[in-house]
Formats: sequence, structure tokens, C-alpha cells
Amino acid sequence: VFQGVTGLSGAAVVGLAILIAVEVFAQASGAMSKFGVHFVYARVWDPVRNVYGAGDFIVGTVVSSFLALLLAAPISIAIALFLTELAPRFLRGPIGLLVEMLASIPSVVLGLWGILVLGPVLQNTVEPALNSAFGFLPFFRGTPSEVGMLNAVVLLTIMIVPIVTSISRELFTRVPPELREGAVGLGLTRWEAIRGVAIPYVGPGITAALILGLGRALGEAIAVAQVIGSATGIHWSLFAPADTIASRIANQYFGASSQLQIDSLLYLAAILLVITLITNVLAQIVVRQAERRGVL
Amino acid sequence: MTIKRHTLAALGLVAVLAAVLAATANAKSSDTRISGAGSSFVFPLVSQWIPALGQAYGYQVAYASVGSGAGIAQVTARTVDFGASDAPLTADQFAACKGCVQIPWALGATAIMVNIHGLNKQLHLNGKVLADIYLGKITSWDDAAIKAINPGANLPSTKITPIYRSDNSGTTYNFTDYLQNISKDWRAKIGRGVNANWPAGVGGKGSSGVSGVLSHTDGGIAYADIAYALTNHFQVAAVKNAAGKYVTPGIKQISAAASTIKSVPGNNEVHIVNPSAKNTNAYPIATFTYVILPTKSDKAAELRKMVFWTLTKGQSYGTKLLFVPIPKVVLAASEKTLKQIST
Repeated sequence: VFQGVTGLSGAAVVGLAILIAVEVFAQASGAMSKFGVHFVYARVWDPVRNVYGAGDFIVGTVVSSFLALLLAAPISIAIALFLTELAPRFLRGPIGLLVEMLASIPSVVLGLWGILVLGPVLQNTVEPALNSAFGFLPFFRGTPSEVGMLNAVVLLTIMIVPIVTSISRELFTRVPPELREGAVGLGLTRWEAIRGVAIPYVGPGITAALILGLGRALGEAIAVAQVIGSATGIHWSLFAPADTIASRIANQYFGASSQLQIDSLLYLAAILLVITLITNVLAQIVVRQAERRGVL
Repeated sequence: MTIKRHTLAALGLVAVLAAVLAATANAKSSDTRISGAGSSFVFPLVSQWIPALGQAYGYQVAYASVGSGAGIAQVTARTVDFGASDAPLTADQFAACKGCVQIPWALGATAIMVNIHGLNKQLHLNGKVLADIYLGKITSWDDAAIKAINPGANLPSTKITPIYRSDNSGTTYNFTDYLQNISKDWRAKIGRGVNANWPAGVGGKGSSGVSGVLSHTDGGIAYADIAYALTNHFQVAAVKNAAGKYVTPGIKQISAAASTIKSVPGNNEVHIVNPSAKNTNAYPIATFTYVILPTKSDKAAELRKMVFWTLTKGQSYGTKLLFVPIPKVVLAASEKTLKQIST
């Protein structure tokens, strides 16, 4: 019976995922037949003239998510190391709990915080500082603005960090003590032991955790829609407004003016599904490798 | 893992809530519960109407201020008894709604708000300058075109940040309707709709998102319904009308615009942006907002009674919220359409 129930639940989840994917693709077919593959790289989104393309939003989605990952990776690993290796025992529980609580903040609340609190700080302090320090790079030029790519990246980073931290922490605690003792026995310092033994041991697991976090960032709609400034165009500057696939769907689905606009938004959804599918397959491959090495 | 447990708990809670909500929604109410959803623009007015309707007819009206777009979607799905939208339905939306009518039931205006540090008097704008700002052609506040219509104002060289609604919005419809009416360039490049292909500026989600950005952006310009602009204490610009006068939006100026209407088309879509020069006080960016009703409804009699009340007695509740009573010619058309609602 137990096997039956679990098997059924598993099958139901798989079936549901397939059904959703099929439905999204079916609904998007109107736009697919109208715009074809051209839609994927076309850089236009005009609800008045009913011409649509995904180019700007694919770039916005990929850039915002990967930058967030780039920021989240070192922070998460540092927190995880701190919690497992350095922090006094009585602090580990509370800090770990707080980090994980970050994950439970609803994204719409985080988005509000992004526009009310984070935005002005970025605009008045962080962005001018970045500009004066790294203004020779095109990423930090332009007018500081409270909404834009940078705000979205920071919010996404805050969303990814708890996911990656809690998995990494789990992984670090599973590094076999023999390995560590052996390393220390060989005369390595604590940092050398971490770098030489613990990190290589958990590396693949952390990569998988990062890809999970990436999946979260790719699909985040509401918080991003609140802070990214929803504009078409691709800019080098991180201060400039941009948009992502998920945010565009959240903004324009309700009350879309035409069936073609709805179809095009579903085409965007289909593209997002493909992107997340790719990252998840990558995650699976990396986790497999990790399993083979006995980490997970 | 802890995260998983949290997620499960959260999912469980959501499921329970959803079940409770579904149960309340499906609860077979004995008679007079009426549900509506849509426009946030008309929400303050509807909130005044609800207790009055309760007193007059014993109706319990529940209205969700979820935005025009979502309102259209919900009445299309028949999950509410009526929808409300500031933009008239498009042909596709009418088709999807299968037997819906739109009835103009309130009249308001869109205000242009600015945040310019150091500006010493009310800003004057005309349609062309406004269009050029949102087209990204005029980029600083000391541009010659702005200086020319603001004699005596000390306009700083601050960069202009045009701010628009990133979600689909009836206010955007009103705003772009005005711009395309007055600027050939805007009509050719952008056009009108609940959303547009914005060539410049940044987007904010909802009026709150737009005003959030505006309040922190020196040099920002944005649009919102007039009551929202006034309650949030933004500087409101005076806009030039067809008679050549710079007009600040208010009750008199909106009714002046509405007084120019001579007839109402069959689908009740009424445009009053940039009205003729006859009425020298008319504010040029005014709009009707619509209630959307299915022509076949279990609650046809109640809906007819409710909407008729809002069109007549209900109009007087609008004044302090800066909604103007709808003109007679529109009222006549609305009443006529209302007769189409049946069980």
C-alpha cells in the first residue's frame, strides 16, 4: 500500500508537470505560428501594434539571475562555513534559523522593501559609490536610479542566499571527520583544511545548490516586477531599467488587450520553462556526479 | 530538511485557506450578495456606494480593487457578478467575455505629477511637450520647449525621468489616448492602450509603484488618477487645453470637459480627451470608467437596480473624491444598455 501511495504521488507530480508544460505550449501556439522562432530573438514588445518578441526579456532574465548567483555564491558559502566551522556553538542554531527564515519572506513583501528601502539606498549611496570607484566600466555608468537591474539583482540574491546556505551547511557538516583530522594531522591550518579538503569534497553539491537557487531566480516574477523598472532595451549599465520574462508575464497577463498578446505571454512562459528545464537537467547531472563521489 | 518542512507547512496553510475561500464563494447566499472586481481608480467611489446600497436595497456588495485588467478577466470567467475597467473593452476582450456590455458609470481625470526640486511655481505642460518627454525627445527640465511655456519659472537642468505604469492600466489608456490625440508623432510611434511600447523612462507596478519611484526621483514625471495625486501631495501640472488655457484638474474642469459630449456610440465607448475649444475651462485628460456586466445573469434584476442607483443617486457621492456626475446624454445611453441585462 505504501508503495502504491508513494508511487501514485510521484506519478501525479510528474503527470502534472507534463500537463502544465503541454498546456503552456498549446496555449502559446497562436503566437508560435504567428511569430515562429523569430520571436525568441526579436527585440520588440508593442501591445498597441500587437508585435511581440522575447529578446530583451531573455537577456534580462539570464543577466539578472546569473548576476544574483554570482553574488549569492560566495556569500552563501561564507555563511555556511561560518556556521559549521567558525561560529561558537550557541550561535549556530539561531543564525541558521534566521537565514532560513529569509527564504520564507513572501516575494511581494521583499519587493515592497526593495522599492521603499533598498531603492533609495542604491540610488543615493551604493550606485554613486560604484560609479566613482568603477565608473570606467560600462556597467556602472549612467544615472543612479532606485529601480533597475541592480535592485532586482540584489533582491534575487537575497532570495537565493538562504537556499544555497542551508544546503551548503548540510554538506559541510557531512565532510567525514577523518578527512579533516587527517588534513590537520598533516600540519594544515584550519583555512588550508577548509580550502584543500572540505570545499573540493562538497563542490559538486554546492554547484547543485546554486543551480537550484538559479531556478528560483529565473522564475521570480512579483518582486522583480516591483523593482526592475519594466523597460524594453538592453543596457550595459546596471542602473538602467530592464525586464525579465516572469516579470513581463506578471505585469501584462491580466487585462491583456488582445488574444495575440496573451498567446505571446504564454510563448514567453514556454521559453522560461525551457530555460528552467535546462538548468534543472544541469543540476541533475552535477548531483549525479556528486553522488558517485559519495557526497550526497 | 527544514526548508522543505516549511514549504510543506506553507502549502498546507494555502490549501486550507483556498478551501475556506472556495467554500465562502460557493456558499449559496439567500438573495442579495453581489460581487465585483476591477478598477482601483473607481474603488474609493465604490467604497462609498457599498454602505449606501446596503441601506437602500439591503444589498451586500463586495468589491475587490484588483485593477481593471483583472476585473475584466474575472467577469469574463464569471467569477464575479460585475467587473469594472477604466479602459473600454477591446474587440478581443468583448469576444472573450461572450455577451458582456460596458456602461460608463463614473467620470474622473488623470493628473500629471512631477517632482522637480527647486521649481518655484506650478509647472505648465502642453500635449506636445508631454508626448516629447515620454518619447524621450525632451530630456532635461530646462529644455527650450518647456521654458517657452513656463515664463518666470526657474527650471533646473535636472534630467527628466518619465515614469509609466508597467502593469496594464486604465490610467495608461487615458494618458496615451490623450497623447495620441494631440501628437502625430505619438500616434505614429506608440498609439494608445492599457500598456505601450515605452521608448523612454522606467516603469512602476501600480499607482503605488509609480508614486514610489516619483517621490524619490528628482526630475521625475508620472501620471495617476487625480484623487491619488492629491492625497499623496504630489505637485500637479497644469495642462493646456484646446482653448489655449492651462488647466489644473478639478471638479469644474472635468465637468467642463464632459459637457462637450454630444452623442454616445452603440458600444458606449466615450472619449473626452482633448475636448473642443468651446469650453475654455475643460481639463484635457479626463475619462469615463466603466462597469462591465454580463447580459445574462442570475442576479439580473439586482444588478440593474444597483447600477441604476449608482448612475443616479450614486453620482453625488463622487464630488469629494473628484468624480464628476456623468452628463445626461451618457446617462441616457447607460440606462438604455442596462435594459439588456436579463436572466
